[in-house]
Amino acid sequence: MIGALNSATTTSLKRRSGRTALLGAFMLTGLSAASAQTVTVWSGYPEMAPFYEHVAQGLKAKHPNLNVKVEAIALREHEKRIALGLTSGVAGATVIELQGSTVRRYLENDLLPKAPDAVVNFVKDKTNFDEFFTSNASYEGAIYGVPLFRGQAALFYNTDMFKAAGLTTPPKTMEEYTQYAEKLTKRGSDGNPTASGWSLRLTGGGQGIAEKFWINLFQYGGSVLEPTADGKWRANYANEAGRATLKQYLQNVHVLKTVTPEMPADAEAFERGQTAMFIRESWVIGDIASKAPNLTYATAPLPRGSIALPTNLYVKAEGADAKAAWDFVMATNEPENLTWLLKNVGWLPNRSGVDYSSVTNAAPAFNAFVNYPKDYKFFTLPSIGPIEEVLTRLAAQLTNAFRNASLAKDDAAIDAFLKSAADETNQILRREGLLGK
Amino acid sequence: MKPLPENTSSRGMSMRTKERLVNVMIDVVLTATCLLMILPLVFLVSNAFKTPQEMLAWPPTVIPDDPTVANFKAVLGDTPLLRWIGNSILFSVLSTFCILATSSISGYILGKFRYRAFNVFFAIILATAIVPFEVYMIPLYFQAKALGILNTTWGLLLGYLVMSFGIFLIRQNVIQSIPDELLEAARIDGAGEFWIFWRIVLPLLRGALGALGVLAFFQAWTAFAWPLIVATTRDSYTIEVGLALFQTGFTVDLGRLSAASALVLIPSITLFVLLRRNFVQGVASTGLKE
Amino acid sequence: MQRKRWMFALLAILPTLAIFAYVRIYPIGDTLRLSLHKWDILSKNKPFIGFANFEELAGDPLFREALLNTTIIAFGVLLITIPLALVLAALIYHRTRSRFAGFYETAIFIPHVVSLVPAAMAWKWIFDARLGPLNALLTTFGFVPKAWLFDPVLSVVCIIVLCSWQALGYAVMIYLVGFKSLPTSLFEAAKLDGASAPQSFWYLSVPLLKPITLYVSVVTLVSGFNVYAQAFVLASDAQGAPGRQVRVLVLDMLENSFRNYRVGYAASEAVVLLAIVLVLTLIQFRLLREKGVR
Repeated sequence: MIGALNSATTTSLKRRSGRTALLGAFMLTGLSAASAQTVTVWSGYPEMAPFYEHVAQGLKAKHPNLNVKVEAIALREHEKRIALGLTSGVAGATVIELQGSTVRRYLENDLLPKAPDAVVNFVKDKTNFDEFFTSNASYEGAIYGVPLFRGQAALFYNTDMFKAAGLTTPPKTMEEYTQYAEKLTKRGSDGNPTASGWSLRLTGGGQGIAEKFWINLFQYGGSVLEPTADGKWRANYANEAGRATLKQYLQNVHVLKTVTPEMPADAEAFERGQTAMFIRESWVIGDIASKAPNLTYATAPLPRGSIALPTNLYVKAEGADAKAAWDFVMATNEPENLTWLLKNVGWLPNRSGVDYSSVTNAAPAFNAFVNYPKDYKFFTLPSIGPIEEVLTRLAAQLTNAFRNASLAKDDAAIDAFLKSAADETNQILRREGLLGK
Repeated sequence: MKPLPENTSSRGMSMRTKERLVNVMIDVVLTATCLLMILPLVFLVSNAFKTPQEMLAWPPTVIPDDPTVANFKAVLGDTPLLRWIGNSILFSVLSTFCILATSSISGYILGKFRYRAFNVFFAIILATAIVPFEVYMIPLYFQAKALGILNTTWGLLLGYLVMSFGIFLIRQNVIQSIPDELLEAARIDGAGEFWIFWRIVLPLLRGALGALGVLAFFQAWTAFAWPLIVATTRDSYTIEVGLALFQTGFTVDLGRLSAASALVLIPSITLFVLLRRNFVQGVASTGLKE
Repeated sequence: MQRKRWMFALLAILPTLAIFAYVRIYPIGDTLRLSLHKWDILSKNKPFIGFANFEELAGDPLFREALLNTTIIAFGVLLITIPLALVLAALIYHRTRSRFAGFYETAIFIPHVVSLVPAAMAWKWIFDARLGPLNALLTTFGFVPKAWLFDPVLSVVCIIVLCSWQALGYAVMIYLVGFKSLPTSLFEAAKLDGASAPQSFWYLSVPLLKPITLYVSVVTLVSGFNVYAQAFVLASDAQGAPGRQVRVLVLDMLENSFRNYRVGYAASEAVVLLAIVLVLTLIQFRLLREKGVR
């Protein structure tokens, strides 16, 4: 099981002598069987580990010698290890799971190989994948990866808490969100909220704050970055949409006091009944099923549309190992596996033409994600180099703004804040030569 | 307050009682302080034994009402905790060995072989002692990458092979406690240089080497930033990194976290209790005094 | 004979020097060099951009925040640790013959040797706004419980407390050694002259211990500027883990390097950190210098 790590160790050992020989006795021992092929899967979502293991199980029949090692760590650490690992050469065949927006810089620098022909045909087939996903997995016309799943947000709401507040249907406009939040907030004797009406992402998670802000912003018709006519980008939130979005956050935190940064938030709070509704991706469904199976909840689409963050699988390998790795990648997209993914993990498979009804019938919560309204709009993170930096810096700005009670009623101050944040965003774009007119 | 030998107080009963009173007060203050210092660790251990429900109880209890070992079982089962501890131990032991080896020989040479060229070396070593590791760890990282030793013990070691302070310490010690005459006598007797180092100098340095060894060990044991960037595969984490990344999943399980942390405390505290004498003796012999 | 000695000395010291050159001197030089270039880890070209990185740093709000936080933490820890350690060491030394002396030393030093991360976890729970004993204690005494780890000011205070807790043991240990080596004759003379214990402490011990104070303060301040693990654990911005991220210099550096893919920019931050540490060390040497030290 220590296969990949140990073969790297022994190789580097052989490269050096002298001191190495002296201290060789101390080195980690244990060599794996040389004949087994090892494919390492790098994932940035710990909850995906069981899925990859499931796929590996399914492959055992056809590839009895294939040893699949799954290493799923937190997303930030995952991105870092890829940045550092790809440039130094990973040991053995590695399947790398990456968001389309993040992978671009690696493709620009020639660090990932193109997909083999069989895989290309599979991905380009319109019955398999919508154009949106295919282009996300390509670069300059060539296919590099295989789409697997996407992150897509929807509203999660606690039906019991809704009933108690006299609400029967989910909110349909952003104004209703605030009204609902007010009605749903549970308060203690001192008037402070004990359970928030609508859990907002106010702290933590770095660029996640900016992403969630963008989702809300999108409902108001704005976006953090918008493409310009000359193929570049520009900040698009120092405007009415931005003001409305930020104002809504501030209203809820400081004026109506339906939520505070210190309160429990996110999926954990929802599962414990500490918040009545929040906007998140579909993985929450699987999380609720395992941690709070008795929770009475439902999901609903957002007023205008949602973020869609496609994640694809890429391969870094040589020779015969490459074939094993691509075989694994193709196996992940088999209908049985994709259904398993949807049912047990909750991320949404990108492949079309697969019948997911067995899952959606058993868990109607998926409907808001899979059966969305006809005019639903999607947006995704731009595939540009500095996207993380833009979002991280915006998140830092927003964190401060959210705490600032004096902004809540001062439109001019909000505008000034948004303008300075947008200036910073544009400055980053300009520095990278990506600022459009 | 300076210590007065207690038996020289010959000024009568009231003096002694006053002294005793002062001593008792000091004891009270010190004991309270010490208890406060250990209290957080006590909490940690007690949390390790709490059930998830009790973790959420308010107000929090110091001694768990319903102790359980479930946290420990879960932690040992789900995470390669023991392997991480193993990684840390291996890394720390190797680092200590390297630092002791390089410091002792370099300290000896720089202390007793006063060539002008060596002054430059010593100046450089001193200068780099002030530079914090974090300042140059990023290029060092890429050097490790070029050598292909990321995610291995060697990669971890790269940042902890030498310790400027160690060289300084040994040099001070050598200058202060090893008389030149001793070495000259041995040379006149026909002893080889290496033999002199091995048989005369090293044994005399035992105290300082003990202290340095402890320092080096704990420096490697508690290293954080470097292992964080060097060890990126789950199996190769050191214990510090593994624990810290434990908490960056989507949700945090305090009970398990405490159990894992408590398990790690055991080697730390045990080692320290065993090595305390060494450290104190060594620090005393370093010539921190004039 | 002389040649033999010279050969031995050279050969003996060469390996160490070689290692030093590779793991210390070269990377330090490389940091300085990288700070003048632009590199995103992945690409093969690293264009030279002069001082552009430093100019950008000057106007970067995140860097300024990191610098401010780090400075406050470093000095906070210093100002708490040194006086407290002096006093505690003096007290322990006074009782050095009692059987408790060993216990005192051990108990105070243990926080310094336990791994950083478990210790930080312990404190994270103590400071927890909802579940922590600190707030429980405050409420029993009628004080308002605070959101320690969320408040921008209080979270910095929490880190200072944690770092001081860890640094205290080392400082006390070193001071104890210093106390043990003070000449008792001086103190007996002072006592005969009628000096009280606090007086002899202030006018005799403290000045005599200056070289130790210098050493401890340099070490404490420098490690204060490099604070990272404590901020990483205690005030982390991990999803779901409650806390407000306290931005410190090393964190900003690593983020710029590995998350924003701007190694040159991170290197310029490292150079600034180095400059600060050097200046502060020099100042401390000036202030606390005694004839003949080092």
